Amino acid sequence: MVLVRIEPSGLRLDVPEGESVAEAAWRQGYQWPTTCWGQADCMVCRVEVLEGADAVRDAGSEELDAVRRKLSPSLHRPGTRLACRLEVTGEGVVLRKEGVRGPAPRS
Amino acid sequence: MTQVETIPHAVSDPHYIDRERYYDRAFFDLERARLWTHTWQMACRLEEIPAVGDYVEYTICDQSVLVVRTAPEEVKGYLNACRHRATQLALGTGAFRGGQIVCPFHGWRWNLDGSPSFIYGAEGFEPACLAEQELRLRECRVGTWGGCVFVNLDPDARPLLEALEPMPSLLDPLGVDRMRVYWWKAVRVRANWKMAQEAFMEGWHVMQTHPQLTLGRPDSYRADSLEYHSYANGHSGFWSKPGMRPVWDAEHEVDSIIASSRLLWEGLDAMTLARDVHVLESLRNRPYEPGGFGSMLVQAIYEYAAGANIPLPMPEDPAALVRWGGVFYIFPNYFILPQYGNALIYRSRPDGDDPESCYFELWSVTIPPAHEPVGRPEFGGVHAPADAEAWPMIPLQDFSNIERQQRGLHSVGFDRLRLSSAYEDGISNMHRELDRYLSH
Repeated sequence: MVLVRIEPSGLRLDVPEGESVAEAAWRQGYQWPTTCWGQADCMVCRVEVLEGADAVRDAGSEELDAVRRKLSPSLHRPGTRLACRLEVTGEGVVLRKEGVRGPAPRS
Repeated sequence: MTQVETIPHAVSDPHYIDRERYYDRAFFDLERARLWTHTWQMACRLEEIPAVGDYVEYTICDQSVLVVRTAPEEVKGYLNACRHRATQLALGTGAFRGGQIVCPFHGWRWNLDGSPSFIYGAEGFEPACLAEQELRLRECRVGTWGGCVFVNLDPDARPLLEALEPMPSLLDPLGVDRMRVYWWKAVRVRANWKMAQEAFMEGWHVMQTHPQLTLGRPDSYRADSLEYHSYANGHSGFWSKPGMRPVWDAEHEVDSIIASSRLLWEGLDAMTLARDVHVLESLRNRPYEPGGFGSMLVQAIYEYAAGANIPLPMPEDPAALVRWGGVFYIFPNYFILPQYGNALIYRSRPDGDDPESCYFELWSVTIPPAHEPVGRPEFGGVHAPADAEAWPMIPLQDFSNIERQQRGLHSVGFDRLRLSSAYEDGISNMHRELDRYLSH
């Protein structure tokens, strides 16, 4: 289990080995923006890796192909990854993602 | 009571099959309406959907079903159409991440259990249009057996295991449920789906179609060396008669068994795998009592499995092992050919809407060593029937006849197929079961 920091909210998210950042977030009740829910189709969940680039797994061919075909060129930024495919291997990863909200407190 | 109708080209004499059953549009449409939407059919292998959320799209004619692992021990089948405006919800194979099945058109969503989880634009609909029961994904019947998921589009169908009788009792003792995919490929054959599969419903074509398997002695390759069984529910099977091998050379028994096993491995890479050839080779010079080679081989196969941590089950009744090397046909379109801890599997389906084209798949499966991780099977692609790079020799030989048969059907000089009552009753049995579906 690795702790990932999300900016600008400062939220922290536990991401277990083998699970993507977005799936870990959804499973734990976070709101993480998407419309396709992990089909590598909508590009809405994408993040910028701000820190810890050596502690994330490289993008696979499915992700690279999806980003190339489905992300408008003007939206490309260095370090852009799909959170629904992004797996983390070590501590120190900081991601930039607007619109993430933590789990609602239990009532 | 169901109404029994007279159907065109019905089997009236079990020894003859009308040629129109293989190409006639009306007959094909009848199959689509009365067979494929009412029969149990193998939809996918269980190891294709190992994790919760994994799915496979199964298609048959114009129908599409999403087979989804909804819980660690639960699989469901959803009819693949959005409850809004019919968009297919998913294609091919993949995973519903975050536990959400999403329509790509307006973003309506469902939980893995089929309940709606988000209806975008709900405020714009009449409330009655959005009643929960209206919006739930429509399910089909699902059952599992032999390492596979079976589906049935008929909500009133009898249970899977009842429809499969008696095949599980023949195959379960051989451990087919423990087998996993070693390779998996498909071929599009320019022939009706039944014509393609009937090539595998008898074994006496070997002498002519696969001459290498006669070890140079086609004259002594006996057509009657196999015993054939037709069962209820359209199923059938055949295997070697006890103590009889098609190539019988008492003086060189061991050499010929090893040679034919090696040819099966080279020519198919299924049923007999490299490790089995290795076991056989180790017996080449081992002494045995006359007639005792078979039991020595069985012992060696089990010893190898134990040493390699392969959980090959020993049947309660060892006589079940006579079915190693046999062919087992499960109505309407599924075959298992078990041998040692392996099997070859076939599935034949209509190719879309064309009565004279079929999509035919082959799986080589084997029991993997215990605790060895087994990934999702990799699909080896669709290949042309004559592609010698893709297909080993034995399937190449089989495919070449099938398309010639289909073309021959149209000859003005041909009227109907004639079947051997001794060797080809399984084919007739299949057609008669088909007629039972088509007439209701």
